Amino acid sequence: MRDFFAVICRNRRALWGMIILGIFLLMAVVGPLVVPLDTATSYANRYKLPSWEHPLGTDYAGRDTFQQFIHGSREVITVSFVTAIFTILFAFIVGTTAGIMGGKVDAIITFITDIMLTVPSFPVMMILSLAVRITDPISFGLVLSIWSWAGLARAIRSQILSLRKRDFIEASRVLGLKVTHIIFAEILPNITSYIAINFIMIMRNAITASVGLMVLGLVPFSSTHWGMMLQMAVGASGAMYGSSAIVYLLVPIVAITLFQMGCLFFASGLDEALNPRLRTQ
Amino acid sequence: MRNITVEFMLRQGTIKAVENVSLDIFKGEILGVVGESGSGKSTLASTILRMVSSPGRIKEGEIYFEGKELLKMPEDEFNQFRWSNIAMVFQAAQNALNPVLKIKDHFIETAKAHTRMSENDIIEKASKLLEYVRLQPKQVLDSYPHQLSGGMRQRVIIALSLILDPKILILDEPTTALDVITQAYIMDLLAKIHVDLGITMVFLTHDLSLIAKIADRVAVMYAGKIVEIGTVEEIFYGPLHPYTKGLVLAIPSLVDDITARRPIPGSPPNMLDLPSGCRFAPRCGYHMIEYCDGTVQAELIEAKPGHFTTCLEWERMME
Amino acid sequence: MWGEQKLIWYKRILVMLVTVLFAMTLTFILIRIMPGDPVDSMAMDMVRTQGMNYEEAYRQAKAILNYDPEVPIIVQYFSYVKQLARGSLGQSMIYKTSVVDIIGGSLPWTIFLLSISTLLAFLVGIIAGMYVAWKRKTILDPILSVYSSVMSSIPNYIVGLLLILVFSVWLKKLPSSGAYDTSVEPGFNWKFFGNVFKHSLMPIGAFFLTTVGNWALAMKGNAISVLGEDYVNAAKVRGLKQRRIILSYVGRNAILPLVTNLAITFGMMFGGSPLVENVFAYPGVGYFLNQSVGRRDFMLMQGMFLTITVAVVISNFIADILNSILDPRLR
Repeated sequence: MRDFFAVICRNRRALWGMIILGIFLLMAVVGPLVVPLDTATSYANRYKLPSWEHPLGTDYAGRDTFQQFIHGSREVITVSFVTAIFTILFAFIVGTTAGIMGGKVDAIITFITDIMLTVPSFPVMMILSLAVRITDPISFGLVLSIWSWAGLARAIRSQILSLRKRDFIEASRVLGLKVTHIIFAEILPNITSYIAINFIMIMRNAITASVGLMVLGLVPFSSTHWGMMLQMAVGASGAMYGSSAIVYLLVPIVAITLFQMGCLFFASGLDEALNPRLRTQ
Repeated sequence: MRNITVEFMLRQGTIKAVENVSLDIFKGEILGVVGESGSGKSTLASTILRMVSSPGRIKEGEIYFEGKELLKMPEDEFNQFRWSNIAMVFQAAQNALNPVLKIKDHFIETAKAHTRMSENDIIEKASKLLEYVRLQPKQVLDSYPHQLSGGMRQRVIIALSLILDPKILILDEPTTALDVITQAYIMDLLAKIHVDLGITMVFLTHDLSLIAKIADRVAVMYAGKIVEIGTVEEIFYGPLHPYTKGLVLAIPSLVDDITARRPIPGSPPNMLDLPSGCRFAPRCGYHMIEYCDGTVQAELIEAKPGHFTTCLEWERMME
Repeated sequence: MWGEQKLIWYKRILVMLVTVLFAMTLTFILIRIMPGDPVDSMAMDMVRTQGMNYEEAYRQAKAILNYDPEVPIIVQYFSYVKQLARGSLGQSMIYKTSVVDIIGGSLPWTIFLLSISTLLAFLVGIIAGMYVAWKRKTILDPILSVYSSVMSSIPNYIVGLLLILVFSVWLKKLPSSGAYDTSVEPGFNWKFFGNVFKHSLMPIGAFFLTTVGNWALAMKGNAISVLGEDYVNAAKVRGLKQRRIILSYVGRNAILPLVTNLAITFGMMFGGSPLVENVFAYPGVGYFLNQSVGRRDFMLMQGMFLTITVAVVISNFIADILNSILDPRLR
């Protein structure tokens, strides 16, 4: 664990990524406890510019943007987190099953994942949003992850196949260790870094997809999620056309961009640090 | 070549891969340059064609060829000069071919970059060269590199090096990556090329026994400097530098008693932290504390006509 | 050898067909599991807009949708397949025209948008990537890194929104919706083309800006690793001119893996088209898919979803073909 942090700190990219994500995480966990959410509407106050009282201005109904931003961060992170957990869980189960059992099971699973990889995931999510009423992060995460695990499952399967050929798996088999033990004690440590990096990237994609679904108006999720803020800014209230409303439009955009960048830096920095490639310069 | 110095600037410090080296190459001879990995021989050879890879650079020195100073030639002119006058076959040359081009395209583009030969003429000449290196032109010319074996690719590279009738051919470890039988085959071929075409050849290798069969003169390099130059007989039967002597004694032979073999004691020098004075001193059996450690040795002393050495104890070695 | 090759292609085509079949079945299932009764909602709509009585409307809706909720699923599936075999994809509830017609009208727009964006981003990207790799220390290198990090973090539809903000709202120079103005007659004349061009500038811009950085970085990576290869050095020592080395040695070898990526990316962009097309109200496949989902037009939904899937399948197939043609090592 300590080595992990040492490695990260040495790599500048990963460090910045971690800082950015850390700030957002803090915001999500602590923020709503510290900053109250005043939902009282007051049309007289709509679209005010940033001031001491309202650091990021107000929205179309006079509510404070900053408060919504803070509370929204919790929603955003929760949904992404849940999505990532589900995706990795599915991928891991399917991937290891295919990798370890081999034979017919493997062939069937590979066939299914191939098809899932071909059919594009966003349209599927769109259609699913009709069938499933999305009211909380869990159901949202489920919908977002249900078509997204195929690629990771494939990758895990091939990692396992290559590990299988390595001697220590054979040795464990010979020693008569149970399959579950082999999975957890031998295989997991080798793919941990890979999964960690994927976790961050899945969160990143989840945000793009969830905000997308909201902007399309298909998923009216909680009103403070940044995606909903964006949707309201564009669709419901003409923020695009009034000048002071710009702030309300830009807040979710900048927030989303920064969060995505944080994920990108952290993940790619981790990748660089944990998988040293040959230096070519 | 006169006073060539090539240095590599690394984070840990500056390495002088080649320091103050002067060398003459005579027309029509086969010169062998012997040295272990890191001795600087490959760097020295790449200096001739100005192919020193970064972070290295040629710090000082001159190279004269037929009256021209090569290191001062403008880049465009020198690019034309390359290959048509001096050609070089690198180590592990099997990878020197572009995987997306056919063999014949390699010949055509090389010839077209230097001459105005027509495509047909180029293919004709290439075919002759390929036959010369004992390959089937029709098959080979239309193939892609991955369709040929390692030995075949090596021969293609050799043929390619001759396409512009160069006056000097430099070969850097031409046989290291090959099996023993192919090695002998290639060496045979190269000897034949030398005899038939009269090309001056420079062989770089760590394998002294390879040189013995084919070279006229030998230059021995150690830690970035040349320590001895002489004819092949002088080097083998009367070496005047302890390093050379050590190399000769280390060659296994089918006829001699294996227990008479002696490895050279010590380990290769750390190029970042060279001893002042003679660089071979820490491993030398003729080491004299008074002067081998102190003075910076740069000069080759002409012990006998044409036979040079940097060892101050060379008279002792003649005994 | 030739026979063996044929076998591989037959297998691939088979996989393609199975995938499409699967997509069809998938849409069928997905739509059947929706809460709510599509026949009922269509019937209600007809009652409201056309003043029919409910039974009559229900009967008509059943016929139009070719869907009878009371009939067992298997029978429904077979009638669905039969309908497909006849070449019909049903009729759209919203637009009252056949789904096939809507596909025919929208697919060209999406292909137009995506192909120009992808090609443009690819070409500009590989030139930039090549330049940065060849001239080791240029100012473009850090600019490229920063640009790519930022632009790939902004979802492309948001970039679209920002473009609209700048060019339509503030500068009032570009139209913010549609493929062409309704006042202009479609036809083979410059006025039409010019109008289409104006309308497509921003959507293409949105796609282009967000992907060009990635292509450049990918090319840079490939080019740098090719530059380290022996055959590039060997080419230099043979006195080949720089231009030849850049084009035939570094260029061709570095682009190889990217070209197949191109086809695959093109397919994937179909999946993301609903988002950008919605922002610009651009009448492409994604736009209509979005409309159909938002207004529960099941026939249209099925048709659009199928179209998108088929587009992806074909793109992947083309990627496979390209790969085996371009790389001599695979022939």
